[in-house]
Amino acid sequence: MATSAAPARTSRSSRSGRSHIGPFLAREWRAWPRQIVGWWRLSLQFRTIVITIGLTTVALLGAGIYTSVSIGNDLFHSRLNQVLLDANQAAKTAQTIFDASDSSNDGSVSTLLNSAQTKITSSSSSRLIAIYAAPGQDQTATSFLPFASPALTTGVVSDDLKAEVTAGAGTQTLYWQSVVLPNGSGGTDPGIIVGSPLSIPSGGQYQLYLGYNLADSAQTLSFVQQTLWIAGLLLTLLIALVAWVIVRLVIEPIKVAAEVSEKLADGELEVRIPEKGDDIIATLARSFNGMADSMQGQITQLAELSQLQQRFVSDVSHELRTPLTTIRLAGDLLYDKRESFEPAIGRTAELLHTQTVRFELLLSDLLEISRFDAGSADLNIEPTSLVRLAVDAIDQMRPLAEAAGSEMRIFAPGGHVEVEIDARRIRRIVTNLLGNAIEHGEGRAILVSIDSNVSAIAIAVRDYGIGMSTEDAERVFERFWRADPSRKRTIGGTGLGLAISLEDATLHGGQLEVWSEPGAGSCFRLTLPRVHGRPVGTSPLPLPPEDTDESDPVEDTGAHLLTRSYDPTHTFDEPVELQPDAERAGG
Amino acid sequence: MDARILVVDDDPALAEMIGIVLKAENFEPIFCADGSQAFAAFTSSRPDLVLLDLMLPGMDGIEVCDQIRAESGVPIIMLTAKSDTTDVVKGLESGADDYIVKPFNPKELVARIRTRLRPSTVVAAAVTGPLLIGDIELDVAGHEVRRGDGRINLTPLEFDLLNALASKPQQVFTREMLLEQVWGYHYKADTRLVNVHVQRLRAKVEEDPDNPRIVMTVRGVGYRAGAVVQPATSG
Repeated sequence: MATSAAPARTSRSSRSGRSHIGPFLAREWRAWPRQIVGWWRLSLQFRTIVITIGLTTVALLGAGIYTSVSIGNDLFHSRLNQVLLDANQAAKTAQTIFDASDSSNDGSVSTLLNSAQTKITSSSSSRLIAIYAAPGQDQTATSFLPFASPALTTGVVSDDLKAEVTAGAGTQTLYWQSVVLPNGSGGTDPGIIVGSPLSIPSGGQYQLYLGYNLADSAQTLSFVQQTLWIAGLLLTLLIALVAWVIVRLVIEPIKVAAEVSEKLADGELEVRIPEKGDDIIATLARSFNGMADSMQGQITQLAELSQLQQRFVSDVSHELRTPLTTIRLAGDLLYDKRESFEPAIGRTAELLHTQTVRFELLLSDLLEISRFDAGSADLNIEPTSLVRLAVDAIDQMRPLAEAAGSEMRIFAPGGHVEVEIDARRIRRIVTNLLGNAIEHGEGRAILVSIDSNVSAIAIAVRDYGIGMSTEDAERVFERFWRADPSRKRTIGGTGLGLAISLEDATLHGGQLEVWSEPGAGSCFRLTLPRVHGRPVGTSPLPLPPEDTDESDPVEDTGAHLLTRSYDPTHTFDEPVELQPDAERAGG
Repeated sequence: MDARILVVDDDPALAEMIGIVLKAENFEPIFCADGSQAFAAFTSSRPDLVLLDLMLPGMDGIEVCDQIRAESGVPIIMLTAKSDTTDVVKGLESGADDYIVKPFNPKELVARIRTRLRPSTVVAAAVTGPLLIGDIELDVAGHEVRRGDGRINLTPLEFDLLNALASKPQQVFTREMLLEQVWGYHYKADTRLVNVHVQRLRAKVEEDPDNPRIVMTVRGVGYRAGAVVQPATSG
């Protein structure tokens, strides 16, 4: 069959892509999470590296934060100690000046404070100095104008600190507090304010505040932190790289092994994994190769055995068939002349003839079965109308049916379309089912139903004869199995017919099933996929058949069809009026 | 009748038995038991038909078939113990007209031989003048096929096949109809016979066998004759 393939359409291939770039990128971005999930699922390498980076980051972050905090604390405390020492020194200096004087008038107090301030400025490292009169004193003390460096004027010294210093009046205690100091360039720096009460023996209570800028320490800390960040990042990258290298080292051989086993599974039996070194990977490769070797050996051996068996079957076929042909020719010559022999010899010629025919059938059935067993049975698929095929088979079996007294009817509401089947094999099944129905039909009607649905086409052969028990029906497809060994055989099957039919049906991807009941007859249903290679789905015909209760239901089903004329242009699935048998003789 | 039939078979008993059957039907059998001598036997005896076993000592039956086909269009019927697809198709592709699967019976054998020996039945309705199919002319009485002035050599079977199609140009022939008309099978037969021989025929008559104009395929049904084209230069 030569079929002309329609040229493939290619009109959609050219299309300007410029206007699609925007949405395309957006879609790309939106597809990223799914892409990453895909990598996560598919790539062990990706997964390992992501996990490694994640865990390393957590560990380094923890270590970094701890280091940073402890360095920060350490820096602060050492600076604080330094600051307190310095402030203590300054306070003591001032107090010493005050203690040494005894003036009590306003002017001398002012002078005293000014000289103290000068002294403090020279002895302390701080340039931020403020001296206030302690609150809650008499007028002489408050007459002193508070002195403060510009940076300390705007509420930098908190009320809390002031209250503490006020409460500690008369002692030498130092009070401190962390603050934010404005710096010269408009920003702020971290700082410490140290407060100390001062008392002038005759001039009342005063408070000294010294501000210290911690910008240097903060800069040191941020430098350390920056270093830690960079080191951490580099370390993470390095560990990711190490993980990648290690995973590659391990995965690469596994990948090779996976590819090789896939090839092996596809039938490339000679592929092997390269063996390098003595490590665990090499051991894996060696044992894998060992397995492949033994598998290849066994498969080759099996293939050889199977080939040998097929060759043997083929040889037996030839060797047996040639002498059988001679016997057949000789037997037939004698059979044709049997009238001229004396009765005993004539009968001998007859027996020789029938048994040669039987032997021939048996031989061909055996060869057919052995072909199935060797797996060398192949389908010769062509589009065929099942109805037409069944009509042909019925015509062929008509003489036998007439001899048995059975009337064969066909009822085909569907199945006129052509389906992809091996006509020879399906014809063999139908003929075989008809032969069985005639043999066991007790001369009653035989109904052949054909119907189709979306996925399948089915033919059922129903007889109303003796039927079988359920146990017998279950074994009916076994080789050389006979329902009732004592029954006389009229058609003389080989005992392999139904076994071959079942194999033929299976080869098509179809099903052959039986329903039978003693006294009610049997129904064999063959269901085939409508398109070869597709699943069958549900059968369009019921099993058990719908008419199991009636004795002769053929009239009721409206099965008035004997033979239908074949019109190749018909593709309908409805029953058509059929003409009697006159059609087929003409050309 | 006395048609001469060359029986090429290595099994002496079978060859003798076939001889007996053929003689009983008034044919004249000639025997050859070796594949390598089959062609020599063919050229010396010039038989009307060859019965050829596929499995032969000396030379494969398919090679013998090729050799004879290269020389002559004489009907060849293969005797084969195998009905397996590849062997049968190989035999048909090398030019055998028909095949019989062993074991066969005498009636079958004789019927097959008679079909191949009798002159084309399709011609029975005597046609006046040549038949036209595509740009090809069939002279039925003279058993000649011409395209323009060029003569195309066809075997009798290929001629019958083309004749069957050309004689009813309106009709679509199913493979079964062709099997009945050309090969004489009255019921189920191997449709590969038709497929293979249509291909062989196309290889000879079509100008482009991949794009046939003479023997057209009707998908899912069979074949029909291509539309008649008036030859550019009428001979």
